[in-house]
Amino acid sequence: MPMQNSRDIGRLAERLIDASEADETEVSLGSGAERFVRFADSGPTQSADRNWQSVSIRARFQGDDGWREARADCDGSCEARALGALERATILARMAPPNPEARALGGAVDVREQVADEATASFPFEEMAPWVQMATAACTDAGLAPAGLIQCRSAEGRLVNSAGREVACSSSRAGFCLTASSPDFKTSAGFADAIHSRVGDLDAEAVVRRAVSKALAGAQPQNIEPGEYTVVLEPNAVSALLLFASYAGFGAQEVAEESSFLCGREGQQIFPESLQIADDAHNEFHPGCPYDGEGWPRQPVQLVDAGRVGTPVTDSKWAAKLGLPNTGHGLAMPNTSGPIPMNLVLSAGEQSLAELIGGVEHGLLITQFHYTNLIDPKDLLLTGMTRNGTFRIEKGEIGPAVKNLRFTESFVKAFGSITGIGSEREVAGALFEGEVICPALRIENFRFTSSTDF
Amino acid sequence: MAKQEMTLAREAIDAALALGADYADCRVSRVWDEELVVKNGRLGSAESYEESGLGLRVRMNGCFGFAAAPLGAELGGTALADLAQRATHTASVLSAAKVTPAAWADEPAHTAEWSSPRTIDPFSVPLEDRLSLLMAADASMAGAPETVAREASCSLRREEKWQASSEGSHIYQDLMRCGAGMSSTAAAHGQVQCRSYPASMGGNFASAGWEHILAMDLARHGGRLRDESVALCSADAAPEGERTLVIGGSQLMLQIHESVGHPNELDRVFGHEVDLAGSSFSQADHMGRFRYGSKIVNLVADSTIPGGLGTRGFDDECVAAGSWHVVRDGIFEGFHTDRTWASKIGAERSHGTSRAQGWFHPPIIRMTNLSLMPGEWDFDALIADCEDGSIFVDTVKMWSIDQRRLNFQFTCEIGWEIQDGRLARMLRNPTYQGTTPEFWGACDAICSSAHWNLWGVANCGKGNPIQLAEMSHGAAPARFRGVKLVATK
Repeated sequence: MPMQNSRDIGRLAERLIDASEADETEVSLGSGAERFVRFADSGPTQSADRNWQSVSIRARFQGDDGWREARADCDGSCEARALGALERATILARMAPPNPEARALGGAVDVREQVADEATASFPFEEMAPWVQMATAACTDAGLAPAGLIQCRSAEGRLVNSAGREVACSSSRAGFCLTASSPDFKTSAGFADAIHSRVGDLDAEAVVRRAVSKALAGAQPQNIEPGEYTVVLEPNAVSALLLFASYAGFGAQEVAEESSFLCGREGQQIFPESLQIADDAHNEFHPGCPYDGEGWPRQPVQLVDAGRVGTPVTDSKWAAKLGLPNTGHGLAMPNTSGPIPMNLVLSAGEQSLAELIGGVEHGLLITQFHYTNLIDPKDLLLTGMTRNGTFRIEKGEIGPAVKNLRFTESFVKAFGSITGIGSEREVAGALFEGEVICPALRIENFRFTSSTDF
Repeated sequence: MAKQEMTLAREAIDAALALGADYADCRVSRVWDEELVVKNGRLGSAESYEESGLGLRVRMNGCFGFAAAPLGAELGGTALADLAQRATHTASVLSAAKVTPAAWADEPAHTAEWSSPRTIDPFSVPLEDRLSLLMAADASMAGAPETVAREASCSLRREEKWQASSEGSHIYQDLMRCGAGMSSTAAAHGQVQCRSYPASMGGNFASAGWEHILAMDLARHGGRLRDESVALCSADAAPEGERTLVIGGSQLMLQIHESVGHPNELDRVFGHEVDLAGSSFSQADHMGRFRYGSKIVNLVADSTIPGGLGTRGFDDECVAAGSWHVVRDGIFEGFHTDRTWASKIGAERSHGTSRAQGWFHPPIIRMTNLSLMPGEWDFDALIADCEDGSIFVDTVKMWSIDQRRLNFQFTCEIGWEIQDGRLARMLRNPTYQGTTPEFWGACDAICSSAHWNLWGVANCGKGNPIQLAEMSHGAAPARFRGVKLVATK
């Protein structure tokens, strides 16, 4: 997987800034490569060996009434196309209405160095094929149908602006997920995955073992009535809830527009003292890009401290409007989305998964939620389905599997009802975009509103 | 048909065949996107995007491989050969893990050109005109102190695509789509409520020119959106329990999408989407005998319907566009298929619904335009025919459905209780829940073609890694009996 040379990227940015007629110019360059194999009962079903390059240019003109600005992007495959993007950004910016709230571009900053793992960037199909064979063989031997994905990618980015800012980073990500299902795709299924920055940290055999054992344990699911249950949510299920706090709660724009659950609760302890949630792009598990869409260093932000909710993440625009520090969580400007925390980390607790389960008299163990979505942002009221391994917990032990349930529950109420936090953390994502780092949680009185026949 | 791009596609295929591929297809794409957003009277974002690239798919030993790269000046000579080498190497290496070779349905070779119909090229409309249309739309929503956000946006996209296959197809397609929308959000009484026009999630999109956006007459609707969003903040919460529901077209379109479109993509039925999107309650042996809905329910998939986002001449496997009944008179009839899956249900040809997000992605089965055929009812007559306590709901606010596409829950932006045959009390957060065949089986009235509209979905996600695709759904308001409403507090 060849990656574009960093020095080439830097020189192109400088040439574009030199060529720009705008009062201020910002250039973001990216490149990356990816290999993936998707597989099912017939073996590999899709695969790709692909690479990309991107150029994104912001042009700005200063006037008496504020800054006029616009952005143009292109695939970055040649300099002529990048110059075309510069021309389009310039034309759009000249015509844009002035924005008196927009501020001058910031200059030089320091960001932490971050380097991609070369082994992940070059992980070959020759090493992916045996993982596919291992997963399909394990499923076939157990009378199950596999469906999974092996994906390794690397990316490199650099942001340069005419005010003297120049930041860069590179990253890598390796992922392996497997869903093992009964052949009717109805009776039972088990899911497991692993996501790491270094492919060498990924234990493919453990993923296969977990998925297959969950599916086998769920072979004869029982009917269950909806209602309120004590639940132990495995990390993947936790991520489906926590990501909505990222999309729709912890950003300054949501607070200013009064849609965030933080409104009226800032500084209050609404969660248990044991709960710590931060946004930290520099975390050791799976670091994110060390700078934001404006090239400002991403600051670690303690969003929930000992159960007390703090102030939201910001970008330059919202920091200025609200009189808060710029925490470096902006997207590429200009945008209407506002700042977003993209690297949420929920601190580990002290209980193993077995201890979390051991503290439940009657309840449910949830592996994964499916198609979680937001009903009402004020309390982060969410709904979604259980999937791929839902089990009764009786007297502290995992019991028989149950059929799937729909939950309709508030994030605020659910996280306010946490009674146990797991000691092992994972990188976990859900159906929609994004990943968080979190442990399993035990939550009381979690509300399920309907059930299914599978 | 531009020779340079088609020549590149042809050369890539020849290179793959020379390396031992027994089949290859190639797509070369050039894409232009422009998006403008006005928020609270200011330009929120102005973006222009251009890309081109080449995606090459090959088959060796019954296993597919795919390689893709941007189409830069350097993608000639050895770079093209390198791409072919990567695709064939991928297929060759992975064929060792292949359990069952991929089947392949026949399709005649096509040499053709196809373009989306358009009256006004949206990219030719001066930027000032586009901005002033959005500024006027935004201004029309101003005037209420409770309003916390106003937004108006438009989006244009053109894709030129050169497709070729080792079977001899050479196809050029020029696909144009544009769309626009607006929304007003109010905060009061502890509530935050939003109203959108003509639909939520960015508005309505069509394979058409600027005339599609002009016809929306955005600024005429701003005052209503502002007032309704404010009124919703003090409206009663929708009740729970079983009610008769009349569902408007801009909501029903997503119901069609989620509970009819996705479950009848054949790759889901056979478990090949289980790793992310899920499987399906639909079974291969449902064809011709499974009751999917009431007798008045007819759902037609159609890749040829004017204005549809899924409308095109050919899919990404060079299969000619067509149409078929997914549900006829309430009985399930046919799946969305591609050339690898068609034979699993005994079909000689694919339905031509294999599409990729772009040159960067390998194609997968994607639903095409899928519509609920209109009935006979006038809307006012349908409302007048409803018993007191029935509820009319419209516009998507939230959607969620299980991995087998059975248990769903939708929240709409707005509802009105029906009293004395008219729309009466406004209701916030109307949320209904059901299971797919029972829900469609409870449909007892559909409004006529006068109330039927085509709604575009511009951001449908499927696949792993996820890909986006576009399609449209035609719907008129329809009535459903005994639907379960759930409390959202």
